[in-house]
Amino acid sequence: MTARSWRQGFFSPLSLFALTIACTLAFPLFYVGYSAFSAKGAVWQRLWSTRIPELLFNTVTLAIGVGATTLIIGVALAWFVTRYDFWGRRVWEWAIVLPLAIPSYVLAYIYTYLLETGGFIEQGWQWMMGAEARIFSPYSFGGAWLVMTLNTFPYIYLLARAALQNVNLSFEEAAQALGATRWQTLTRVSLPLIRPSLVAGLFLVTLYVVSDFGAVSLLRFQTFTYAIYQQMTSRYDYAAASILSLLLVVFAFLFLIAERWFRQRSRFFQTGGHIRMKSPKPCGMLPTLLLTAFMLMVFGAAFGIPVFLLIHWTWAAWNVGEMGSGFLSYIWNSAMLSGTAASIAIVVGTPLAFLASRYPTRFNLLYLQGAYTGYVLPGPVAALALLTLFTQNLPFLYGTALVLILAYLIHFLPAGLQAMESAIQQVNPNIEEAARSLGRHALSSFWQVTFPLVRGGFIVAWILMFLQAMKELPATLLLRPVGFDTLSVRIWLEASEELYQLAAPPALLIILITLPVVLLLTKKNWQTT
Amino acid sequence: MHILFPFISFRLCVCFMLILTLAPSSLLAAEPLVVYSGRAERLIKPVLDVFTKETNIPVQLLTGSSTQLVNRLEAEGPHTPADVYLTNDAGTLERAHELRLLKPLQIEGIEQMVPQAFRAADNSWIGLSGRVWIIVYNTSMINPEQITSILDLANPKWKGKLAIPNAGSEYLQAGVSVISAVQGETITEAFLKGIRDNAENSVYGQSSQIVDAVAKGKVGLGLVNHYYIYRYLADHPKAPIAPLLTDQKKGEMGLIMNATGIGVLTHTKRLKEAKSLVQFLISRTGQQMFSERNKEYPIRPTVKADPALPPRKSFRVAQVPLARLAELREPTMLLIERSGLR
Repeated sequence: MTARSWRQGFFSPLSLFALTIACTLAFPLFYVGYSAFSAKGAVWQRLWSTRIPELLFNTVTLAIGVGATTLIIGVALAWFVTRYDFWGRRVWEWAIVLPLAIPSYVLAYIYTYLLETGGFIEQGWQWMMGAEARIFSPYSFGGAWLVMTLNTFPYIYLLARAALQNVNLSFEEAAQALGATRWQTLTRVSLPLIRPSLVAGLFLVTLYVVSDFGAVSLLRFQTFTYAIYQQMTSRYDYAAASILSLLLVVFAFLFLIAERWFRQRSRFFQTGGHIRMKSPKPCGMLPTLLLTAFMLMVFGAAFGIPVFLLIHWTWAAWNVGEMGSGFLSYIWNSAMLSGTAASIAIVVGTPLAFLASRYPTRFNLLYLQGAYTGYVLPGPVAALALLTLFTQNLPFLYGTALVLILAYLIHFLPAGLQAMESAIQQVNPNIEEAARSLGRHALSSFWQVTFPLVRGGFIVAWILMFLQAMKELPATLLLRPVGFDTLSVRIWLEASEELYQLAAPPALLIILITLPVVLLLTKKNWQTT
Repeated sequence: MHILFPFISFRLCVCFMLILTLAPSSLLAAEPLVVYSGRAERLIKPVLDVFTKETNIPVQLLTGSSTQLVNRLEAEGPHTPADVYLTNDAGTLERAHELRLLKPLQIEGIEQMVPQAFRAADNSWIGLSGRVWIIVYNTSMINPEQITSILDLANPKWKGKLAIPNAGSEYLQAGVSVISAVQGETITEAFLKGIRDNAENSVYGQSSQIVDAVAKGKVGLGLVNHYYIYRYLADHPKAPIAPLLTDQKKGEMGLIMNATGIGVLTHTKRLKEAKSLVQFLISRTGQQMFSERNKEYPIRPTVKADPALPPRKSFRVAQVPLARLAELREPTMLLIERSGLR
């Protein structure tokens, strides 16, 4: 590249725009780091001796625990639906993905109800084990573990199912021809073959657990995100919250690096060009019953019972007229904030994705990486960064919708960027070049040629970001403008007061809106390579 | 993809953005009185609704944690949309006062109506109702004579029998501040470590859950605000629970009392309306509604509390001016963190 074209590439308006956006998105991260390091040594000292070991232990054990159980449940489900043919298999295949539509804090509040002292689960347990028997409290490691497992196992299931469907049949047949039992085939042949997918799923689950705020807070299980929120809401300065945030971000960052490293090391290729699909083994009466019972149990715990309860409560709230006139405005606020954030994200994301795919210079790729830092900024951290940033430098903007939308942007743009990037990469640059050679300039060729081709991918990106923003909790709680209660805020306010009936209608609505998109996920090809 | 989402077009997204830029102006047209409230919405909204009905002044509520709202007010400074700050912790109100966020109010007869301990020196915040932080016990499990002081809860014999609020609770923070102001840090720290060990996993986020746990016999003792006991009894008249009025002997510190209070913000543009809200809440009707709905003690001694409560005159409270809670806050937080409460 000559010096002139280098300068041109760097100073082109599009590049400058991308640079501005990447800096805006990455800036909060640096700001958190800055305020953490400018905190007094005594604060660090205090946190080391009182909080950090516990938080680290809790966060790591929760991630490991949830990872282990989701792995078992997810792989078992995937194995059953791909290798056995039983009544209702086609329905279960997509039904067990539905739990993804339930926000973690909704599931958490339902389980605080189900597992409460004297609740009917405890009564049932006492009926079996005697009056002195107690079930575990939902406000504990066990509670957080259960809720997070039920909330995230579909990720593993989706990845494992896709992988199992694509495992070359010859390997399993060879194993069985050599006298291996079905169990041996699974553990020695199939599982090792789908290992990259399982690892990818585990990373997804872990990242989700580490950055989740809603469930751990409602269950009051002390992890980093919850502690950060507590520090922010019960102290007059944000020094301690910044330090904890920085640690969480470093933690998440190391984790991402580990993931990249692992992924590069474990590229598996299947031999034998022709891959035949294995036909599932038909099941008799008893196995069908057992499998159905297993599916029903998992589905019931993660989706059926929660949704049934929500419908029941919503109905009760409706009947006593407690739905409130404000309900419509909460829907409107949610939709408007999330819609605006998603739309702006598309607008600002386009040049980033476009530059990185069409002109992958070092700078353009760097901008894209900058925008991706939002991945390692869990909700409370993004909120904290913007809070300190705006209160210290632009206080008059604090408390406006702008700050909240910026928080959504930082947090959710990475998810959208991925979809946008792959959409643009699928368009052959020759088409654009043809348009240019026929006299279109860059902008109109993008608008008239590229954009119609990527519209589908962009719409998916928009919807992904819209949905995540709808469910977002910590940043919304801390940054929402006056009179801007959203559905998620209402769920939180009512659920933390244990007003189950009042929290149910907004919760049900969020689930209903999310469902179609989750079903779309089952259609997507989830291959990792 | 185009077939899947026929209704969501790019134009719709653009519309969303336009709406956002237009929305704030239409929202401002109604000019409601903006109240930042650290109090649970269900406790304050009905009272504000009556206020709106009587005065025709619409009210907009932003609910959050007391401290977070003070932080927010401090950050927003002169640009704040808020007119009134209302919260259930006098220490946080005093903090707002120290930050010069609140306007001293001149309300006729306020000196006679509200005792000095329950308002700021310059009347920049005014108490509305009082509550005592108290021990609730299960009458069929615990002999009340075994506990005469709140400090007795640290006795190892109550291991596994005590429920406490989590460290984020402003009630706990205020209570600990009062204890350490009277007893000193060493005794307080020993007390906190004791109740931490005794409570084990019975650490709750809501006082209502603590009362519930005591009523159901999961634990025998709990630390709560008094009105949670009476609210529970109103729903479950036969529940075996009662309050323990501790530290009443001569020379002992007395019960721990905190106040819900209200202040008008320095930068309000609706001073008249804000002041009329304060006046409404301090009026006999307002005070009556507060006490009836929340089963708290009205701040005006002449307004009667709910007859189910122990009469206000029947117990003594700790003589720590509520305004001191602000300065005690940071040492208290350190104390709580050091003793390992969560």
